[in-house]
Amino acid sequence: MSNSRDPVWRFLLPSLVFVGVFSLYPILESFRLSFYRMILTLPWLGQKFVAWENYRDLITDPVALGSLTTSMIFVIGTTPIEVLLGLAMALVLNESFRGRGWLRAIVLIPWAVPTVVSSQMWRFIFNDRYGFFNFLLFGNATQFYWAPLAEPGLALMSIMTADIWKTSSFAGLIILAGLQGIPGELYEAAGIDGAGPWQKFRYVTLPMIKPALLLALLFRTIDALKVFDLVFVMTQGGPADTTNVLQFYGYKKTFAEGMIGYGSAIAVTVFLVSLLLSILYIRMLGSGLLRKEKPA
Amino acid sequence: MKTLVVLLFVFFTARGVDAQTQLRFVTWKSEAAKIWEQVIADFETRHPGVKVVQEVGPQSSTEFHDLVTQKLRNRDAQMDVFFMDVIWPAEFAAAGWALPLDSFFSAAQRKDFLDAPIRADTYDGRIYGVPVFVDAGMLYYRKDLLEKYRLQPPRTWPELVRQAKLILAQERDPYLTGYSAQFKQYEGLICNMMEFILSNGATLWNERTLQSTLHEAKAQEALRFVRDQIVAAISHRGILAYQEPESLALFAQGKAIFHRNWPYAWEASNDPKQSKVAGKVGMMPLPAFPGGKSAATLGGWQLGISRFSRNPQLAWQFVEHMTSGEVQKQIALYTGRGPARAALYSDPEILQKNPKFSSEFEIFASAQPRPRTPVYLPLSNIMQRYFSSAIAIADSDIDRLSKAASRDMDRVLDLLRDRRQP
Repeated sequence: MSNSRDPVWRFLLPSLVFVGVFSLYPILESFRLSFYRMILTLPWLGQKFVAWENYRDLITDPVALGSLTTSMIFVIGTTPIEVLLGLAMALVLNESFRGRGWLRAIVLIPWAVPTVVSSQMWRFIFNDRYGFFNFLLFGNATQFYWAPLAEPGLALMSIMTADIWKTSSFAGLIILAGLQGIPGELYEAAGIDGAGPWQKFRYVTLPMIKPALLLALLFRTIDALKVFDLVFVMTQGGPADTTNVLQFYGYKKTFAEGMIGYGSAIAVTVFLVSLLLSILYIRMLGSGLLRKEKPA
Repeated sequence: MKTLVVLLFVFFTARGVDAQTQLRFVTWKSEAAKIWEQVIADFETRHPGVKVVQEVGPQSSTEFHDLVTQKLRNRDAQMDVFFMDVIWPAEFAAAGWALPLDSFFSAAQRKDFLDAPIRADTYDGRIYGVPVFVDAGMLYYRKDLLEKYRLQPPRTWPELVRQAKLILAQERDPYLTGYSAQFKQYEGLICNMMEFILSNGATLWNERTLQSTLHEAKAQEALRFVRDQIVAAISHRGILAYQEPESLALFAQGKAIFHRNWPYAWEASNDPKQSKVAGKVGMMPLPAFPGGKSAATLGGWQLGISRFSRNPQLAWQFVEHMTSGEVQKQIALYTGRGPARAALYSDPEILQKNPKFSSEFEIFASAQPRPRTPVYLPLSNIMQRYFSSAIAIADSDIDRLSKAASRDMDRVLDLLRDRRQP
C-alpha cells in the first residue's frame, strides 16, 4: 500500500467505504451465517456452529436440487434468446431512419417498467379466462383456452417469456453501444474489397461487437440466475413446485421460515455459481473484454 | 464526513422529541377504511395527546408476514401494535417477538370471545393476541341453478360432484365451471386441502407425537378425490393458479356453480355493482365425505403488541379499544366480517342488517385451526409443495409424494423435540 497521504486514497475512500459496508460486509456475513444453525422462530436452539452441515443438507435436499435445475433451465432458455433478440434490435436501431430516436426510447420501455408491474401485467396476459394470450391464440373459442400459469409444463415457460420480453432490450442497449463504436472506415474498406452485406456483418460487425455480446451475455446470465420478482408475483413457485427457482427457495427459507443458516447457504451457493459462471465467460471467451484493444 | 455524522445524529435524535405520544399501528388496507378511521379517531379523542400512526402493509398475508417479522427481527421500537394472521401467534410467541398479554387480558375477559381464535392466540399456556375478526371456509352455491334442476344443496363431496356434472351437462355453457376455489401453490391451498382431508376423518398431523399424518390412507384418499373428481372432472385447470380474487371473480360472473371462500364473499357476490349473481347465491357449511364431518379452516386476524414497544400500557389500551364490544359491533355492521366476540352473533341490530351471521356462528365456533406450532411456516411450505404436486399432475404418485412430505415434516418437527426451556 502506498503512502496514506497520497491523495489517490482520499479520493478512493468514499467508494471503498460504500462497497465495504453495503457489498463486502453482507457477503462475508452470509458466508459466516451459512456455517451456523440459526432458526429465528426457535431461539432456544441458539446460534450453533455446524461447519458444513447446511451445505451437506443442501446437496441432498431434493427441493434445492430441483430449484437448481429450474434455475439452470431458466438461464439456458432465456439468455441466448435475449442476446439474439437484443442483437436484432441493436442492428435495426443502429441504422439511420426517421423516428429512430423515438423507436430507441420505445424499445427500452419494457426494461424501464418496474419488474413487479410487468410481472403483474404478464399474469393478466396469461390468465385462463380473460388473458390476451388466449385471445390471440383462440379468439372467441373459449373452450380451447389454456391456463399457462396453472400447468406444470407451461408455467416456467410463461415466466421465461416475460423475462425475454422484459430484458432483451437491455441486451440490445449494450450491443448498440458496441455497434456505435465501429468506425465507418471499416465498412468502406470492406466494400472496396467487394464484401456484400452478409460478409460485412460476418467479418466486420460480429468480431467488433464480440466484447459487447459477451458483456450482454454475462449480465443476462447473472441476472437470470438471480431471478426472483417474476416468480414471486406470477406463481409463488407453483404449480407443483415447477417454478421454484433457487433464489425464491432461498428467500422463502430465510425470510418466511426464518432458517437463517440454511437460507444463507443457499444465497452463498447462488453467489458462487454466478461468480464461477462469470469467471468462465471472461476466461473462455472474453479475454478481449478486460484488455484494452490494441490499435489495429 | 464529520458534517454527515453530525447531520445523521441530529436527524435521529430529533425524531424522539415530540410533544405527542405516538402509537404506531402496522395494519393493512381495510375494505371499509372509513370505519377504521372513525374507530381510531375515537381512540385519539379519548386519549388526548396520543396520535395513532398507521403504517399500511401489503394485503397478502405472506407479504404482510415478511414486513412484520422484519421489524420484529430488527427489534424495531417504532412498531407498537400489529395485525397477526391466525397462524402466526405460536411463531411470534416462541421467537419472543409478541408480548404475552396475560396481565392485561384476563381469563374471564377471554370467555367473551369465540373459543377457536382464543386457542389460536394461546401458546404454551400464555396468550399473545386478541382476536378481531374470524374467518372460516364456506360453500357458496348458485341457488337458481340448483332450484332449476330440483337439487338440494350438497351435504357430501361426491354429491357436489354429481350435481355439478349434471348441471354442466345440461347447461352446455363452455364458460361454466363446476367448482371454483383457491388451488394455487400458496397458503390458501393448505386451507382448501385441509378441509377435504379433515372432512374425510383424517388429519394433517398429530399434535401430541409431533408427527405428520399426511401419508395415512384417508388423507391420501381425500387428495386423490380432489385430483380426479374436482380438478379433472368438474373444474378447469385454471383453478390451479387461483387465489381468492380470481376464484370469486369467476363465481360473481356467474361462471361457477359451487365456490369455496371466506365469509367476505357473501357481500361481494351479492353486491349488484360487482356481481352478476346478486340474490342468486346460497351459503352453507362445506360438504364432508360420506361418514365424515364438515370441516372449515379457521382464519382471521388478531392484534398483537410488540415486545419491543416502548409503550406497552398504551398499546394495550389501543388493543382493548379496537376489540371492545362497541367497536366490534361497528365492524360487524359495516364490514360484514365475522366479529370475534360471541355475544354479537345474537345482537338484534347486527342480525337485522346481516342475517347471515346467525348461520355463520356455528361454522365459526367449530372452525379448525391449522397446526399451532412455531415451525408452522416451514410445514406450510412442505405441504404447499406436496398438495400442489398431488393435484396439478394428473397421474401424480400421491402415495410416494405424501410419504416424502411426511418425512420432510417430521424432520422439521424434530427440531421441537429437543426443546430445552431457556
